[in-house]
Amino acid sequence: MRQGSAAVAAPVGRQTPPTAAAWMLIAPLLLWVAAFVVAPGLIMLVYSFCQRGTLGGVVFAFTLENYAAVFDQTYLHIVVRSVVFAAVTTAICLLMGYPVAFYIGRAPARWRNTLLMLVMIPFWTSFLIRTYAWVTILKSEGLLNSLLVHYDLVAAPLELLYTRGAVILGLVYTFLPFMILPIYTSVEKLDQSLVEAAFDLGAGPLRAFSRVIVPLTAPGISAGALLVFVPALGIYAVNDILGGGRVDMIGNIIEDQFKGTARNWPFGAALGIALMLSFAATFWLTSRWQSEPR
Amino acid sequence: MQATGMRGIAIVAAICLVAVGGWSCTSNRGPKQELNLFAWSEYVPQSVIDGFTRRTGIAVNYETFSSNEEMLAKLISGAQRYDVIQPSEYTVAALIKEGRLRAVDWSKVPNIKNIDPRYTHRPHDPQQQYTVPWMAGSVGIVVNTDKVTDDVRGYRDVFQPKYAGRIVVVDDPREIVAWALVTLGKGPDEVTPATLAQVKPLLQQWLPLVKVFDSDSPKTALLNGDVDLGIVWSGEAALLYNQDRKFAYHLPVEGAHLFVDNLAIPADAANPDAAMAFMNYILEPEVSRLISADFPYTNPNREARKLLSPAELQNPASYPPGDPKLETFGDIGGAAVQIDKLVTDIKAAG
Repeated sequence: MRQGSAAVAAPVGRQTPPTAAAWMLIAPLLLWVAAFVVAPGLIMLVYSFCQRGTLGGVVFAFTLENYAAVFDQTYLHIVVRSVVFAAVTTAICLLMGYPVAFYIGRAPARWRNTLLMLVMIPFWTSFLIRTYAWVTILKSEGLLNSLLVHYDLVAAPLELLYTRGAVILGLVYTFLPFMILPIYTSVEKLDQSLVEAAFDLGAGPLRAFSRVIVPLTAPGISAGALLVFVPALGIYAVNDILGGGRVDMIGNIIEDQFKGTARNWPFGAALGIALMLSFAATFWLTSRWQSEPR
Repeated sequence: MQATGMRGIAIVAAICLVAVGGWSCTSNRGPKQELNLFAWSEYVPQSVIDGFTRRTGIAVNYETFSSNEEMLAKLISGAQRYDVIQPSEYTVAALIKEGRLRAVDWSKVPNIKNIDPRYTHRPHDPQQQYTVPWMAGSVGIVVNTDKVTDDVRGYRDVFQPKYAGRIVVVDDPREIVAWALVTLGKGPDEVTPATLAQVKPLLQQWLPLVKVFDSDSPKTALLNGDVDLGIVWSGEAALLYNQDRKFAYHLPVEGAHLFVDNLAIPADAANPDAAMAFMNYILEPEVSRLISADFPYTNPNREARKLLSPAELQNPASYPPGDPKLETFGDIGGAAVQIDKLVTDIKAAG
């Protein structure tokens, strides 16, 4: 079964090197990546070894103090919290998103596009406006509390907003489509005959699911997990709005170094590099899990 | 085919000639004067900008920022040369120290005489060489008197366990540390490792009681009823008071931050004369009144105050009564990093 999914992923046969025409076609993309991804990354790397300028900005004098500060207890605590929040968000998105994606992937062809549209439509609204909409729903005099109080389900309004729960809610809401769509792609490619073969060989529904369906949709799961975990690690707007500015994550700390009191660009750059390295590590781990022979 | 082709070429050539001719005609009129204004978002009324353009014919390019640090970042990057910037007083001190401001030729800005002497020659610009005060304000206590019946007059009154989870404060580490410093009887600029160690236990008591940290719009949490009291900018408190009289404003008895926002001219400004014309324009009482109407901070212009309505002058957040203890902030240089770390540490522990 592992070989089946690997066969989809790996190309077979002899590989011909790209022609000059092929290079010309992808040249614009390479230039764009070089200018807007590689160059800023290099600038950030250089800045992370510089010293803080008085008005902000950097002084080109080599120092390792910024990386030392990254491992300071204060910031390490926040890094751990960010990882935990991102992991919890990924887990909840997976638990909620997998059934939805599975259902859409196995729905009759004429319904699939409509259902996908329903998942995609909130995406067309600004993400910031959707987060503020949650403020309107969760606040003390908001929609949810007004409903609960009106029907005497609670005595006093619940404190839902400006809590960690609200932050997780906002994060899951923002990233759920990122989990549903990759898993849907995998489910759609699922060969139903393999599942039927499992039933024929005596597996119950639970066994068929865990031993056949999940491994076959593993590429979708890992893609979805990556698409949720990595951005959730760096997010700062959702937790700032829904957490009342109290739930600081690594993204907020980096923002503070550039737009806040500290004016410490080199430290912000060092944190950014640390974040990039953790993304690389996550990506490496997921790709190893995928290609691991069972 | 050929005839159509020739006709097409002739038409295109004619259009090009007209365009070139027209373009060279306009350039013969001489360089158009413009003003690159870099100010806070929500601080310069459009009516003021339009009035200036109507009066002088100078076009205004208005760019905005939402924090002093953002302004500094864009200013020092040098990507765009600004003619007028709008720094707060502690940023002015840093800019003057770094030689980034151009001295104002007061013969071109005679209206400076309209400013109340209480707002000139302050510590951030002792010889009044570089800045024109725009608006002043304070950071003080606002209380929803429907929910809070006790007398809340100082920082210690706000941060009591009975108000746990009902407080909003501005998300500004410099401000927060300053409150703790003045409560312990020190000056707000006395930021050293020793004084920070002294304020740490006080902040560890205070910050867990706060429900919301919001610098952008602290009035939202108060209007929503999620919090009952807070320490916010006076402009926000004035807007709350105008909306509902139940929001009372007091300046903390231990001492409050008087902030003075200013107009200044960067040293590399391309249009300094336009900048000074703009400064002179906004110092006119009628124009200053327009600023007060939209943004009810404390107007430092004596002549403009004479034109304000009684309702505006009675707003306790805009014009606090009595003789409160007010101090401006100075530049603390690298100590800002320690402040940021301390507040981050305490917030994260909560």
